[in-house]
Amino acid sequence: MTARRGLGGFALAALLIGYPFLDRALGLQTVHAVSDGMIYVLLALGLNIVVGYAGMLDLGYAAFFAIGAYAMGLLNSPVLGSPLYGYAWSFWLCIWIAAAVSALLGTLIGAPTLRVRGDYLAIITLGFGEIIPVAIRNLGDVTVEIGGWRPVERLNLTGGENGVNPVGRPYLPGVPFETDPVPWYFLILVIGLFSLWAMSRLQDSRLGRAWMAIREDETAADCTGVNPISTKLLAFALGASFSGFAGSIYAAKLQAITPGAFEFQVSIMLLCMVVLGGAGSLKGVILGAMLITLFDRVVLAEATFFLRWLGRSLGVPLLVTADLTLWRWFFFGLGLVLVMLLRPQGLAGRRIRPMLVPDTDDAVEVAPPPAPRVEAIPGWLRERAHRVGAAAGTGPILEVRGLVKRFGGIVALNEIDLVVPRGSIIGLIGPNGAGKTTFFNVVTGLVRPDGGVITFEGRPLAGLRPNAIVARGIARTFQSIRLFANMTVLENVLVGEHCRLRSTVPGAVFRPPAVMAEEARARERARGLLAFVGLADKDGDLARNLPYGDQRRLEIARALATEPRLLLLDEPTAGMNPRETETLTELIGLVRRELALSVLLIEHDMQVVMTISDRITVLDYGTRIAEGTPAEIQRHPRVIEAYLGTGYEPAAPGGAI
Amino acid sequence: MEWWEVLVQQTINGLTRGAVFALIALGYTMVYGIVELINFAHGDVFMLGLFISLAWFTLLGVTTTLGPWQLITILPLVFLLTMLTTALLNVSIDRLAYRPLRRSTRLAPLITAIGVSFMLENLALLWKGPAPIAYPDVFPSVDILREWFGVESAIFVTTKDILVVGATIPLMIALNYFVTRTRWGKAMRATAQDRETAQAMGIDVERTILLTFFVGGALAGAAGVIQGMYYNIGMWWMGYQAGLRAFTAAVLGGIGNMPGAALGGLVIGFLSAWSDQYISARWTNAIVFSILILVLVFRPQGLLGDRTPEKV
Repeated sequence: MTARRGLGGFALAALLIGYPFLDRALGLQTVHAVSDGMIYVLLALGLNIVVGYAGMLDLGYAAFFAIGAYAMGLLNSPVLGSPLYGYAWSFWLCIWIAAAVSALLGTLIGAPTLRVRGDYLAIITLGFGEIIPVAIRNLGDVTVEIGGWRPVERLNLTGGENGVNPVGRPYLPGVPFETDPVPWYFLILVIGLFSLWAMSRLQDSRLGRAWMAIREDETAADCTGVNPISTKLLAFALGASFSGFAGSIYAAKLQAITPGAFEFQVSIMLLCMVVLGGAGSLKGVILGAMLITLFDRVVLAEATFFLRWLGRSLGVPLLVTADLTLWRWFFFGLGLVLVMLLRPQGLAGRRIRPMLVPDTDDAVEVAPPPAPRVEAIPGWLRERAHRVGAAAGTGPILEVRGLVKRFGGIVALNEIDLVVPRGSIIGLIGPNGAGKTTFFNVVTGLVRPDGGVITFEGRPLAGLRPNAIVARGIARTFQSIRLFANMTVLENVLVGEHCRLRSTVPGAVFRPPAVMAEEARARERARGLLAFVGLADKDGDLARNLPYGDQRRLEIARALATEPRLLLLDEPTAGMNPRETETLTELIGLVRRELALSVLLIEHDMQVVMTISDRITVLDYGTRIAEGTPAEIQRHPRVIEAYLGTGYEPAAPGGAI
Repeated sequence: MEWWEVLVQQTINGLTRGAVFALIALGYTMVYGIVELINFAHGDVFMLGLFISLAWFTLLGVTTTLGPWQLITILPLVFLLTMLTTALLNVSIDRLAYRPLRRSTRLAPLITAIGVSFMLENLALLWKGPAPIAYPDVFPSVDILREWFGVESAIFVTTKDILVVGATIPLMIALNYFVTRTRWGKAMRATAQDRETAQAMGIDVERTILLTFFVGGALAGAAGVIQGMYYNIGMWWMGYQAGLRAFTAAVLGGIGNMPGAALGGLVIGFLSAWSDQYISARWTNAIVFSILILVLVFRPQGLLGDRTPEKV
């Protein structure tokens, strides 16, 4: 298998290197076209970071292509009198400046889009995609006139409609960039291969996982310690820098840039490439880009020839004059529609298997989850717990005083006090709509409180974003499970470790020993956690394909991976069968006992709450109506009233309420 | 011209432009309100409305200015036929390209919408060719101030301006009546609020969505007729441009909010006319899109919309 793959790789390399010579030998003269096509492949790969990995629909990506091309054009051309023009090293310097300028503008353009919803983000990028060509066109001849006074007169910033021409070529001793397309081919090939290599490494790194987590579920990613703002900005900046490279090569190769080359259609063609091949898959994007370029440059023209020949032979005048190249954009539009309808994951995208549904209800006995064992607790988690336990103070881990949250006229939380002593399990119960989940959302930073103080380990949490609160040491699960559905089980847990890992972009690409060690350790830890919650053999499955109970346990493993000191569980046993509930209850007790973890638990299963909670707080209509030990709570008249109405006789202690 | 005459003239221009934007924006906002989709192809339905109305005029043998009787017989007929055609077009787009993706991610139908937009534009390009087409001067143009009132003024108001306002206002009143007073309108509002609950209450959600696309398409068609008769010119690419401006109008008013769309249309109409006059027509697009971006970033609920928090 590996031998065959090695052979395939060797053949591919031989083809890529030999192609221009083969082309010359056969007199095909296709090297120019192929090199241009490769520039588009590079662009599509950059767009894939934004659309495929980070899941942000960018409809104005051609703007960054334009910025790269104009950065090169303006710095390395005599048109505007740039001092850099005319040196042998100019191109090699300008290509980096162009990438940097594109990345900078990518960050600037990306910044305002970060807080808006997905479809709004698409429209904002489209807006920028429209504004930039307009600006390029109009900044070629700027005159500002304010009541007869002209502070700026006929200033040329961009070359305007005429564009920039000529642009300085790259220079290497003995290499004929002026006359021969072959050096261009190799230049683009080298840059393309390097980009591909860098991207494949990024994809499989801490940063790549963070992008995908954002794509799958931004809120859950935020609550798992991934900073959505910086993660998205990084995607924008990196995507833009790749198109900065592509744009600067394009400018130097074409020797002339005009604003018309960067319009909306170009963005859509690039989007077609990414979507057709399969967003998020490097192979897919390359395939998509090649297919579309081939279709655009070869198939349409050849099909037109064929149609005309057919028309002449059959004597159909309509066919004789047909010109399919006019239908180009029609076909791109049709292609987008068909791909989305028939194969939304793209040609090479990972096929999303249908959810596993047992054939009948009880014919298939799902293997019961293994009981949690003390020995299964990962050693690193235990060590950490002891270290932290020794250093920790004696005060409560979480202290909430007078917490208020209003939604319009409704008071969802009314002056709530709650204290979680270190190493305890506190139950939070109350009828539906009592404000329990809102309380969690406020503590984890998803919702801003209207009043009150939340103190975690003696320091206030006011104003922190969810990911910063996770970094402080509070992790949560969600009432309706929120996993990263199209990532593997292992990746889900690795995202949990995100805020405890350190690798950066250069680290992820070049993988120095420190990063390799960190990544290996992270994987080992993640596997340990999966074994602990009973998912040892499922680390390669997609999270969406797990049965319900496994998904619940995976969410807990992901929360534990953030190395929390306080764990918030929102109805962890909801929808589980009695057997699974029992195992999970044991698991919660175990982590508290062995890892000195404090737990705040929302739970409707009274058996569970009463068994494992040290103390219980009861909410009703946003107000705390009772607080005490399980035994006290079971006898508390207001609790009984809230759950059952008045006139109920208390049952024997220990029974379900 | 005096400075105030320029301002008045440009404001009148803005009003007529804004009326057309408002009609298109209503289609965007209704569809967004009900299926949360930016129907990117909507602007192109408007463009096709112009081309189709021209075809209807030609079929009915009208190539020159309409006489008084024709104005009350043929003109309403062409309006009706065009609106029906574009409404059916819009409904078929939904059936073919959006409906299969109803349960998919939010971005999937947006991508198909862009694809449909490209297809429609290029169908128009292949149908009419790349050059701008001349739309016959079917509506009589009379300089009202001079010929009816005998006022000598540099300001130019014609019967065409009356046509724009006179066609837009009844359409909006009818739409408002339809949405607020009829059973179907109630079904639309309920579906926009909560699709599942509406379904549980016995509303046929798919039929309601179909109806929404039908009404939106009809309004875009009407806007196309008005545009053609007013400016006497049509381009295959005008739908993209007008569509984006109308979408900006819908966002500005508060997407999903119908009075907001009408208001937003007028505001964008005024702003673009003033920008053409006082800054430069070359920058107008950039200014409109800057407004779009600023609204989306700083006030995504628009002028009249409500803020909807994400459910956790």
